[in-house]
Amino acid sequence: MAYDKSMKILIVDDFSTMRRIIKNLLRDLGLTNTQEADDGATALPMLQNGNFDFLITDWNMPGMQGIDLLKTVRADPNLNTLPVLMVTAEAKREQIVEAAQCGVNGYIVKPFTAQILEEKISKIFERIG
Amino acid sequence: METEISEQLGDLALRQAKELVQLLEAGQHDEAQALLEQMRSERDINLFSEIGKLTRQLHEALISFQLDSKIGSFAAHDIPDARERLNYVIKMTEQAANRTMDGLERCMPQVTQLTAKAGELHRQMEKLMRKEMQPGEFRTLCNDLVAHFEGTEKQLSDVQHTLNDVMLAQDYQDLTGQVIRRVISLVQEVEGSLVELVKMFGSMTGMSEEAVEPTKTITVGVEGPVIDKTRQDAVHGQDDVDALLSSLGF
Repeated sequence: MAYDKSMKILIVDDFSTMRRIIKNLLRDLGLTNTQEADDGATALPMLQNGNFDFLITDWNMPGMQGIDLLKTVRADPNLNTLPVLMVTAEAKREQIVEAAQCGVNGYIVKPFTAQILEEKISKIFERIG
Repeated sequence: METEISEQLGDLALRQAKELVQLLEAGQHDEAQALLEQMRSERDINLFSEIGKLTRQLHEALISFQLDSKIGSFAAHDIPDARERLNYVIKMTEQAANRTMDGLERCMPQVTQLTAKAGELHRQMEKLMRKEMQPGEFRTLCNDLVAHFEGTEKQLSDVQHTLNDVMLAQDYQDLTGQVIRRVISLVQEVEGSLVELVKMFGSMTGMSEEAVEPTKTITVGVEGPVIDKTRQDAVHGQDDVDALLSSLGF
């Protein structure tokens, strides 16, 4: 396992059930240090003040969208190295390309499985080392 | 088409006018008079056909007012009703998801605990089989086993109860399915009315071709799940995403 199980993770999604699913799946992977936010605007101050090690975000949310959160994170000198995994229903090729260009570390399309989540998280932290 | 006809009419009038001048110059007054009568009656015929056209347009406009009242009822009643129904779907699916998750979160720690306890007792039993156990330990093991079975019975009956609840939470599928089907049929009706409307006005303004051949519009920006599996601009599953990202050097 390439990642530290005590790492602090922020889960951002406007649907509480999806946050709950991700939280439960992370707990199965031994990752229990999680917090939640329901859109980018709520997530940003948490990220700026919270010493998070990993960000998992949806794309389509009211308020600040996930892609804008990603751009803001990458533009912030204190956050620009934060690993970001996008978990979203947005499936257009141009969107995936845009997310990649904005510096996303992983992209999962919904609906997804526990195995895919584990695989992507492992891959992200392997690459970062 | 229309310009052709009016050109023909213009030619006719010019020819008749020249003929009239010739007749008058030749002093054939009766013939000139007859020609004038003919020209007037032809003008009347044109007037009648114009009135006919206007009448037809009026008739079509009246039909369109009937259609308007149908659209009015969509706007006043059916669409708000559909909105309410779809909100109900959101509420029902959310409730079901939460009820399911509540059940799972109740079950998971119980299952984890049972698994751990079973593993521990299994190891103790193996120790006993290997005859490595002290009499004191054996007594403790027996008590542990009895306690474990008692506990297991209760916990498993809890788990069973919860699983039943999880099963019952799936009834939303039936209820929301019915609601969504009704909304789909409303959308079809609205679509039908819009097509009729566009066809009608289209026949006047030459837009009818657009009404007959709908083009697939692709939403700009976020749009949620892509349902149409034939769309080339979207990925269909995680494998597609991974292939796309690896083609970008990920």
